[in-house]
Amino acid sequence: MEWQALWLSLRLSFWTTLILLAIGLPAAYWLTFSPRRWKFLVEAVVALPLVLPPTVLGFYILLAIGPHSPAGRLYAALTGGMLPFSFQGLLVASVLYSLPFAVQPFTSGFAAMDRKLIEASWCLGVSRGATFFRVIVPLSIPSIVTGMILSFAHTLGEFGVVLMVGGNLAGITRTVSISIFDDVQSLDYAAAMHTSLLLLGISFLVLAATYGLRRRVRAVWPPYGQ
Amino acid sequence: MDNDLAVDVRKRHPGGPEIAAALRLPLDKHALMVLFGPSGAGKTTVLRLIAGLDTPDAGSIQCGDEVWYDGARGIRLAPQERRVGYLSQDYAIFPHLTVRANVAYGARGWAVQGLLARFELSELADRYPRQLSGGQQQRVALARALAAQPRLLLLDEPLSALDAPTRLRMRGDLRQLLAGVQIPAILVTHDRNEALALGDSIAIMIDGKLRQAGAVDSVFDSPADADVAEAVGIETICPARVVSRSAGLVTVEIAGVRLVAVDIAGESADVFACIRAESVTIERNASGNATSARNRLAARIVSVIPEGPLARVTLDCGFRLTAIVTRQSGEEMGLREGEQVTAVVKATSIRIVPRG
Repeated sequence: MEWQALWLSLRLSFWTTLILLAIGLPAAYWLTFSPRRWKFLVEAVVALPLVLPPTVLGFYILLAIGPHSPAGRLYAALTGGMLPFSFQGLLVASVLYSLPFAVQPFTSGFAAMDRKLIEASWCLGVSRGATFFRVIVPLSIPSIVTGMILSFAHTLGEFGVVLMVGGNLAGITRTVSISIFDDVQSLDYAAAMHTSLLLLGISFLVLAATYGLRRRVRAVWPPYGQ
Repeated sequence: MDNDLAVDVRKRHPGGPEIAAALRLPLDKHALMVLFGPSGAGKTTVLRLIAGLDTPDAGSIQCGDEVWYDGARGIRLAPQERRVGYLSQDYAIFPHLTVRANVAYGARGWAVQGLLARFELSELADRYPRQLSGGQQQRVALARALAAQPRLLLLDEPLSALDAPTRLRMRGDLRQLLAGVQIPAILVTHDRNEALALGDSIAIMIDGKLRQAGAVDSVFDSPADADVAEAVGIETICPARVVSRSAGLVTVEIAGVRLVAVDIAGESADVFACIRAESVTIERNASGNATSARNRLAARIVSVIPEGPLARVTLDCGFRLTAIVTRQSGEEMGLREGEQVTAVVKATSIRIVPRG
């Protein structure tokens, strides 16, 4: 049983979810409310990880954050370290890989909002930023929670991208799904079984908690007009 | 600088008619202007342009000495900077906040407690909007708007979301509340009774254009053209031809029938004669002569339709003429379909407007 790998996966999922919350909310706001005609292009880019093979995504990320890329050089200049095969590199890859799992629920939550509530807030002299936090976010809590849980669960189970960008370094980049792959490769089916069962259990609990929570949240904040 | 709200804007929504409105509302007299017109005339758009929620294609909006919008100079103030209290049709109360938190949402100063008391919301302060009736929601929306201390109130069909009995009661309450707060207001409605009950002045909008503005009584009694006459609910509007003019009176002919009216149409020979149903009286005996001040017309009753305590009588006197009588007098006179009666209309009750 790879407790170290599990702990790494949980840390990775936690930070990925937090970062996705920070960049996903403004991105979803822009996608929902911007009048730009070309925003469908951005929507398509955000959704790419849903259809791209993880190896393709991982390959491009590896190139993009490599030591010879602008991003890699900037990171090296700032920290003296390298992104590929590091936890930070894995984090960058995970954020990109799970982006649609956060942004799409956020966007659908915002789009379902009654625009009149937002306009009422503006007319009451409350700025766009404050309106976002005082009206849009509280009324989109179910969608935001859904997006966060999906990001967390998706990151927990990622494999291909991790393998491409992070490799298999114990305690640094060996996530729980990679440790299962390792166990199977070395014919240690018992260990693979334990870890898989644990991952299955955690995933189920997380999703069950989400759906249960969403139901409760709905009871507290019914959609406007009902 | 004068202390008026001066609006002169044009706006075209894709696929819609062009909205063009020029209006002026004095800000110091806390007057209520009714923006009146049939559904789809562009009334809501005008309110949204003034509030800054939509941007005009061209024109200007000035509030006192503040320029809110000027297409030529590229000035456009955000809704937050205009300090306008805007009430949308369904009130848009924040569903996740209590009544108190809703009223306090954009409040300046410490007015919340007082406003809750004044709008009889103190008892409901800790409730959520979904626990409120339509009338209570409206009071919350109004209190919330006033808490932000607006310079101007914009009310979009504030009574239309209410059921009929509540609407009647709230019409009276609204009038009192608005008179109490001393803030100039523009109220959109397509309901004639609401316009009469609430408005100090009125602006008529038809097909995106502002057609006539003035004191409520004068616009309702003296529409400038046939479209406005129809919009303000004048029942009989007939094309007529001028036969003669003399001494401020005009004789017109409608389908062979001659009517005498007060002349205000100027030079035109083709006119519309507009007659309100209330100013038509029905007499049983078909005797008597037409005088210069009274038109007496032989008529046949086409239909009698009861409307609550009143009855709407459609008459055929060469042209269709609608009259309103109380149901009681209708029954006393025995008004029935097919009967012959005399319709009497005073010359001063016929409004002649130019045609074409």
